[in-house]
Amino acid sequence: MPTLKVDHERCTECRMCYVVCRELDLNAVYVALEPLHRIEIDPETCLYPGCTACLMYCPAEASIVEAETGRSVVPPPPELWRRRGARLPEV
Amino acid sequence: MASLPGKNLAQELIAASRDESRRTPMEAVIKAASAGSLSDDALFRLVGRLWTLERMLYYVYGGWGQGLEMNDFPPAVKYLFSRQILDDSTHEMLYLDALLRRRWIASQKDAFRHPYGTFQVNSALAYYVFSLRNLATYPHTIRIAALNLGPKIVELEWMTALADALPDADLRAVFASQAVENRSHVLMGRRIVEEFVEKPVEADLCRWACTTARGDYQRFLRELASVVLGQAAPVEAPTAAADAAE
Repeated sequence: MPTLKVDHERCTECRMCYVVCRELDLNAVYVALEPLHRIEIDPETCLYPGCTACLMYCPAEASIVEAETGRSVVPPPPELWRRRGARLPEV
Repeated sequence: MASLPGKNLAQELIAASRDESRRTPMEAVIKAASAGSLSDDALFRLVGRLWTLERMLYYVYGGWGQGLEMNDFPPAVKYLFSRQILDDSTHEMLYLDALLRRRWIASQKDAFRHPYGTFQVNSALAYYVFSLRNLATYPHTIRIAALNLGPKIVELEWMTALADALPDADLRAVFASQAVENRSHVLMGRRIVEEFVEKPVEADLCRWACTTARGDYQRFLRELASVVLGQAAPVEAPTAAADAAE
């Protein structure tokens, strides 16, 4: 299973991923004590690709990537929307 | 730098707060931590009550933000305020993460419901929060002087001492790492007072507000230390069931 990580070169530390993950009681996004207070994703707790909520809320393109491939998942690629059975956004 | 109008006032407020910072009720908690006599539940009470305070700062800053009008101050002051909200949010998130990581609570919702995490209006914590919120009607310089050069200095000192005393490495890191944000608050407060407090009447209001905020914070610390050391029951909010029974 692919896992997610934060690309700290892109992340704006807006913390929307943290807020949504807490709201869903998944608690995979956390504030790291070291390096100091960066937002990180715990792959052991994260349900990706079963859950993609943080990707939907993240406003900073390419700031969350698949750890194994480095592929950007912000904004979420179409197959992630289809996997959840959701409609593609109309643009 | 010598020409900054509020330079002497900032030094005066900082000195007064530093003087009080190691004479708080938290010294008993620091002593107990040093002796290794804080139980797991006592640490839960400590983090739970501090989380409750930090989450209430969103309410305080919501009020303050409404009173920060366009063109009252240069954009730098607003930037520093937004930075302060972010930093206090970091404090809140660190406490919540610690509560979850140690499995004291299972979810964020549990934290709101647990007696150690509830907000009760009949408490010193609420008194302090409402006191800060009431500063919303004062100019931004005065409320920043009150909080950042008052309780934030006291908090920086006792929290650093507590971090040194805690035997638990994880909790030590939670408290020690917050020195970064607390120091930042103090430096922001100093800068704003130095640069923007010019009139004698404003300086007097800063002195009054700072003394009041520090006094209210000390009252909260007295309650916190009592709860942590088991000398007082945790503050419990009335439950829906209790309401229905009345």
